Amino acid sequence: MNTVVDIVLRLACWLLLAPLLPGIINRVKSWVAGRRGPPVLQLYYDLARLWKKSVVMSTLASPAFVVLPAVAWVALLAAAMLMPLGPAGAGLSFRGDVVLMLYLLGLGRFCTAWAAMETGSAFEGMGAVREVSYAVLAEAAMVAAMLSLSVQTHSLTLTTMLSPTAGAGAVLLAAGLFIVLLAENCRVPFDDPNTHLELTMIHEVMVLDHSGPPFAVILHGASMKLLFFAVLLTQAVLPMGKLGVVSSTCMLVAGVFVVTVSVGFVESLMARLAFRRVPLQLATAFLLCVFALLVAWKGGVA
Amino acid sequence: MIETNQGNSVVDQTKPMNTSLALVVAAAGMLLGIMAGRTAARIWLITTLVGVIAAAAAALTVLNGDDWEWRSGFTVGGELLHLRLDGISALFMMLLCVVGGAGSVYGSEYWSEIEHPRSARSGRVWWNILVLSMGLVLVMSNGLHFLIAWELFALSAYFLITLDRQRSEVRAAGWLYLAASHTGTLCLFAFFTSLAARTGSWELGPMRDQAALSPLFWLALVGFGLKAGLFPLHIWLPSAHANAPSHVSAILSGVAIKLGIYGLVRFSGWLPMPGGAGTVVAILGVISAVLGVAFALGQHDMKRLLAYHSVENIGIILIGLGFAMISVEHGNAAWGSLALAGGLLHVWNHGLFKALLFFGAGSVLHATGTREMSRLGGLWRRMPWTAGLFGLGALAICGLPPLNGFVSEWLVYLGLFDATILHESSAWEAIPAAIALGVTGALALACFIKVCGIVFLGAPRSEAAAHAHECGKSMRGAMCVLASCCVAIGLAPMVFWPAISRAASTWHPAWNVVQVPESLAPLGRVHVALAVVAIAAAALLWRRVKHQGFKRELTWDCGYAKPSARMQYTVGSFAGMITEWFAFILRPVKHMHRPKGPLPPESSFEEHTPETVLERVVAPFAHLIMRVSLLARRLQHGHTQSYVFYILIGLAALAAIVIAGGGQ
Repeated sequence: MNTVVDIVLRLACWLLLAPLLPGIINRVKSWVAGRRGPPVLQLYYDLARLWKKSVVMSTLASPAFVVLPAVAWVALLAAAMLMPLGPAGAGLSFRGDVVLMLYLLGLGRFCTAWAAMETGSAFEGMGAVREVSYAVLAEAAMVAAMLSLSVQTHSLTLTTMLSPTAGAGAVLLAAGLFIVLLAENCRVPFDDPNTHLELTMIHEVMVLDHSGPPFAVILHGASMKLLFFAVLLTQAVLPMGKLGVVSSTCMLVAGVFVVTVSVGFVESLMARLAFRRVPLQLATAFLLCVFALLVAWKGGVA
Repeated sequence: MIETNQGNSVVDQTKPMNTSLALVVAAAGMLLGIMAGRTAARIWLITTLVGVIAAAAAALTVLNGDDWEWRSGFTVGGELLHLRLDGISALFMMLLCVVGGAGSVYGSEYWSEIEHPRSARSGRVWWNILVLSMGLVLVMSNGLHFLIAWELFALSAYFLITLDRQRSEVRAAGWLYLAASHTGTLCLFAFFTSLAARTGSWELGPMRDQAALSPLFWLALVGFGLKAGLFPLHIWLPSAHANAPSHVSAILSGVAIKLGIYGLVRFSGWLPMPGGAGTVVAILGVISAVLGVAFALGQHDMKRLLAYHSVENIGIILIGLGFAMISVEHGNAAWGSLALAGGLLHVWNHGLFKALLFFGAGSVLHATGTREMSRLGGLWRRMPWTAGLFGLGALAICGLPPLNGFVSEWLVYLGLFDATILHESSAWEAIPAAIALGVTGALALACFIKVCGIVFLGAPRSEAAAHAHECGKSMRGAMCVLASCCVAIGLAPMVFWPAISRAASTWHPAWNVVQVPESLAPLGRVHVALAVVAIAAAALLWRRVKHQGFKRELTWDCGYAKPSARMQYTVGSFAGMITEWFAFILRPVKHMHRPKGPLPPESSFEEHTPETVLERVVAPFAHLIMRVSLLARRLQHGHTQSYVFYILIGLAALAAIVIAGGGQ
């Protein structure tokens, strides 16, 4: 019974809170620009509206065009179930779940990129290429980051890995993971989620032909991915395990909020990078994570 | 100790008998198939399937119980026959049976007499000879007979690759295969003869106590590595896999190159290892994995691309094996056994999904007549089964949960992470390998999105693709069998673990029992849950879309109302970014005619990635040898007078030697 309650609460937490993050980012951006901006809950309204709409599908698309966004969404939700939430721990935790988490994100990417290729549009092909190509570098950075957490805690379980602080390498790791967060969630400086129909985008251009309920699922999945990375970053850096229930919960919420606000600030203050420079930026993230790994290694000896 | 042995022998008296019987049935089935192959296709198929199933039953008894061994009372070639089926050979035998069986069903439709009247008959015969000789390689426990079976296997593969030998590129591919294969056999010949010379017997078995044998491992690495296709030795592999009939490509990639891995696993377990051997194998594995997939991304030919993915997956297997060897050096079995179990499971997995993918590619080739991806597109509409099954294979080969590829890669990752967190020197090898494995996975994903997206999705790029047709029941059935194996290993890894653990504990005498990783069971449950929830969510969304209603419109192209198939992303443009990153090693060849002037004439752009090692390294070297040899040929010109003159010079030289050194 307890596990059922736990799972329901956890699902509610991930599903209901995730769409809040893009709203907060937009608020920060409009505040910096001196505008009033859309309501914080705008994405909720959008999702509700999209869910009630009918669908326009490309003549070329197969049923997978509708089905795969759901699979990608489930993959992200499964990754979220593996992610510990402060004192509550993870919904499911076993040795090696960290690798499963990385590959679940990969499954989500496979499904999104496949659905993008369905329409035969050059725009969506372009988006899919960028998504899968940049992911190569982001994946290297993620593996290095996870190795550094593993080395530091002598563990392969996310719950244990994320419970202490990342130690001396915390700053390096935070910087590396933050860049990966921006790239994986297609935020500035890698992508501009505000523009539409530009040749310069990744995620938005992949979902150009989606509409109605499948599009709602995609948008919700994207917001869940953002929340996922924010939670990961916060817990990797802060010493969650050393605090009491209340203070660690507050810490987690505050951490996620700070990460979200900083995404908003980055978006307000920076321009999008030239596409040639994106691999360099991601290589920087990779190197930061490798240095964090080396610091963790050095710390482990003592 | 003695008592327990006797106890076992009483209880298990029937088991070796059963195994022998099954193997005799298997051999008889294959031989009958060889005889029936020329005339009766249906009898050939039935006897072959019976043989394959019997061999699978034998392998299963060994994997569940004791080793099987048999020695003859007579000699063959001066040596007593010694056959043995233990955990490792049974593991490979099982794969051979599944892929061999599926391939014969597939081949009976794919290479039928109606479409290939000249070669269908000989194709069936050579198919059985290939499967039989691969089985023989697996059971031979005498160096001499191993070599004989190996040569038979190499030759029968050659005849299958060149079934369609009217085409010149098939002949070229076959020739390259034969040359590479025999270079490998030469190394193996040196290996087995020196082994026999140093041990005084052709018998094979554990020889870890004889330290003098350790340098021989390098010979085995080159010989078996050439067959396995690890990176710098893979030169024969792409063209052979691309030009062979697809069911042959499937068994070549699924099983034949695995026999190279079999040799490496076998002799890395039996021989004493020279220092650093594990590191060398692991480094070769990492290079093969990353560069294999990088080369695959640059390919335009669907089957060539799949062939390069074999190099990649062989790399992943070798990472597992290499770290098992390193762990033996470090004396730590815990993480080594995980890595080895991952590598061995990947042998199965790669065999299954790669055969599935080659079957899918064959079905596309059968339907459209081209392997050129830039002429395909939108095939899902005409070939939904092939598209779906190929997509499943793509998910599996990218190592994505909940399919089998993830289980084996996950085990290798566990080994690598464990090697890292122990905080020993092994970490310096494990960290780069783990990162490389992550990069390989992401690159493979990119590559398979490219293949699936361009071949099966979007709009057809040629008439042939627009009028494709779905393959028949036999081909579809064979693909379904392999696909369900992929799903089964993914959803229930615990069921297959005993076989893997049995093989891994056979590998090294010090590893008595390889423990099941405690998180394998939860992983299986997560996979089942993921599959169920994903299907349920997909069904719900589909129903919602149906309920809300949907209409079909043109793809949105910024308001452009006449999008054409030529506007789609192409093979080259898809892989462009990543091949650019790897250009320093891939060396793509580009031909560009830019549009010039106010009224530009026709402009064009062409790019392809050659087999760089072959064309830039091996071919110039071979050319050099040819030039030296041609110089030597000038001595031979057919003038008898000059030959007499050579003899005179020779005699004079001999006389000079005798006179100068006469004192001794």
